[in-house]
Amino acid sequence: MIEIKNLSKSYNKGAVKAVEDLNLHVKPGEIFGFLGPNGAGKTTTIKMMVGLLIPDKGTISIAGYDNAKNPLEAKQNIGYVPDNPDVYDRLTGMEYLNLMADVYKVSVEDRRERINYFLDMFNLTDAVGDLIKSYSHGMKQKIVLTGALLHNPAVWILDEPMVGLDPKSSHLLKEYMRKHCDRGNTVFFSTHILEVAERLCDRIGIINKGKLIAIGSMDELRHGDQAGSLENIFLELTEQ
Amino acid sequence: MRTFISLLKANLNVHFGISSLKYRFTKEKNRLWEPIAIIIAILVGGGSILAMYSFFLLAVFMAGQSLGHPEIVITLSFVASQLIILIFGIFYIISVFYFSNDMSILIPLPIKPGEVLGVKFITILLSEYLIALPMLLPAFIIYGAGSWQGILYWLKGSILILMAPILPLVIAALIVVLLMRFINIRKGKDIMVIIGSLLALMVGLGINFFSLNLPQGSEEEVIRHMIESNTGLIEAIGNKFPPSIWATLALTYREWQGWGYFLLFVGLSLLLVVLLYWIGNYFFYKGYLTGQEIRRKNTAISKGDIQKHINRTSSPILALLKREWKLFMRTPVYVMNGLAGMIMVPIFMFMPLIANSEELTQVLNYARDPEYSLIVILISLGIMLFTSSINMVSCTSISREGATFWISKVIPTPPKDQVLAKLIHSSILSLLGLIIVAIPLFIVVAIPLLHLTILIILGFLATGLINVLGLIVDLLRPKLSWNDPQEAIKQNLNAFFSLLIALLVITVIAIASIILISAQIGEFWVYGILALIIVVLLVPSIYGLFSLANFRYKSIEI
Repeated sequence: MIEIKNLSKSYNKGAVKAVEDLNLHVKPGEIFGFLGPNGAGKTTTIKMMVGLLIPDKGTISIAGYDNAKNPLEAKQNIGYVPDNPDVYDRLTGMEYLNLMADVYKVSVEDRRERINYFLDMFNLTDAVGDLIKSYSHGMKQKIVLTGALLHNPAVWILDEPMVGLDPKSSHLLKEYMRKHCDRGNTVFFSTHILEVAERLCDRIGIINKGKLIAIGSMDELRHGDQAGSLENIFLELTEQ
Repeated sequence: MRTFISLLKANLNVHFGISSLKYRFTKEKNRLWEPIAIIIAILVGGGSILAMYSFFLLAVFMAGQSLGHPEIVITLSFVASQLIILIFGIFYIISVFYFSNDMSILIPLPIKPGEVLGVKFITILLSEYLIALPMLLPAFIIYGAGSWQGILYWLKGSILILMAPILPLVIAALIVVLLMRFINIRKGKDIMVIIGSLLALMVGLGINFFSLNLPQGSEEEVIRHMIESNTGLIEAIGNKFPPSIWATLALTYREWQGWGYFLLFVGLSLLLVVLLYWIGNYFFYKGYLTGQEIRRKNTAISKGDIQKHINRTSSPILALLKREWKLFMRTPVYVMNGLAGMIMVPIFMFMPLIANSEELTQVLNYARDPEYSLIVILISLGIMLFTSSINMVSCTSISREGATFWISKVIPTPPKDQVLAKLIHSSILSLLGLIIVAIPLFIVVAIPLLHLTILIILGFLATGLINVLGLIVDLLRPKLSWNDPQEAIKQNLNAFFSLLIALLVITVIAIASIILISAQIGEFWVYGILALIIVVLLVPSIYGLFSLANFRYKSIEI
């Protein structure tokens, strides 16, 4: 579903290597957690996956489409939520959702079903008629999430999706992520909440200073040491 | 004091992007041509405007001299610059005082509100010199050199010029800070933008109205009259705002009287700064924080309404066009900039005709004479193009997306379709501008319907060209990093470039028209060939825009 090969990105003419020779394969049906300290290259990687940044080197394929050669097809298969929900302040929530449904060409039946589903799930029905500029951070996060998932994309790419969500919404989102992957789709998300990653993810990748330093299921990361928590593993790996 | 200075340094750095400029010049050397090209364009464009302005001032000085009042040139420049700073200052202050992201960082710091306000005030003041200096210096030099002034004049003048923006800016700040204390900031801001724009409109109309009192004749006679007449524009404004006159008196009176006015001007400026600091300590944070406590309207829409909304589907291009339209129309500063100018130009244009009936009949007789119809149409075309190209819609359409540009980058809509939606949006507004000019042409000048149709078609094609070129400029250098929508449109150099492009297109059409008229071919041939010329320029520009969009939507990183 997601295939990243030899991906590199640097800033300052190569002086700062944000991502270095990253190789990653995320299979259908998998929830993949992407961890790393601040400034490790998580957001840079995610931004390259969705087309916000251009890689210096390497290829990214989403649902079988090379995102440089067939960007529109790749984008049609992605549901992306950034870490900071900057949305159109002067549209109402409903107008924003309809805009997203229009540009992703979602049929009337599908948008009716999904918009109602998500508005209920995130408890947004009462707010959807208001301008987005009156929303709290969490509400903006929810409206962006809803807009990103309306077209039922095969691959979700979420940059710290739990930040700003209330416990109930966060719980429902996690459940929905599981359901989505059980249908053969993929979720790729970054997070700093290690407990969430530990419990939810099928596989975890840890990135540090632009390099992927560990990848595998929790068992594989523990190397047989069942007592090791993800926190210990993470601290051990990133402090080296 | 040390905190104040370090805060000021940091603020200036952020506001003027000094660190990022340094980075640009030291680290990104291969992209050095961009700022250099921009500087050259500004020097050429701004230089020619400055030259024209200086010639005008020289004429004013000479006319004034012949009447024994050469100092009028100084009064004029002080009045004009202080008035402009007062009006633009209001917008600027709202934006920097109340809508910059740094407030949430600054408020918890152990610094007095007056100091934070002071830092922000100085930052704006420094930016205002960019307006004040080009307006004041030529007048100051012309008068000083023209009347052989001594060293004291240059010394006093330099200080006065540096102090000139303080007074109007403090007044603007006092108005804003006091009003913001008592009105809700979020709603208040929109109201302030509208009030400010209406104020600007009124000043514009006022100037136009005053200029109607002028007799017709050569430029010198006009200026003579302006100076002679007690109800003249300058004195009228000067009487309402005496400090502008004080500056002139400080410079022109010799001995103690001059020094008296000098001290009055400087003293009042400093006194008001102290007052602002004092009021800032009391009201600045209170006004800001009251505005933050916003409540959502909770206009809960019923399930039925939601279904109704959902049923309204559009094609991606139409959906994006609707987005452009709504975001534009719901942002007062865009509407005021985009539409107010288009409404003002025709009013300015036709007001003299309405006010002066004798002249009206004379002009109309010419205009209605079929013999002159070609000339009338071409002049009208020039006015139409100018009117509809000052709306700055197309040249800021990428910039206006700001931090939300990520959405345009991730949606699966081809960049070509996305810019097409923007082009349609700006063309609709330009068409509105064309029609606003066309209506009085039809009613007052009685241009026949056939000619009016030709005029609108030619105008639509030419504004299309200007809009396409404006979009190209914005694609090449979008200003996506801003906190307040005002910055996207008012502090965006693209607006200036777009104006230069519009003037260039108008010049090309004017030159072509002159050649065609002197070739003495039939009237309709002239229109046909002009249309052909515009289309020949338009078609490759559109193709260029589309392929540039494909490239830039990928390469603009956010």
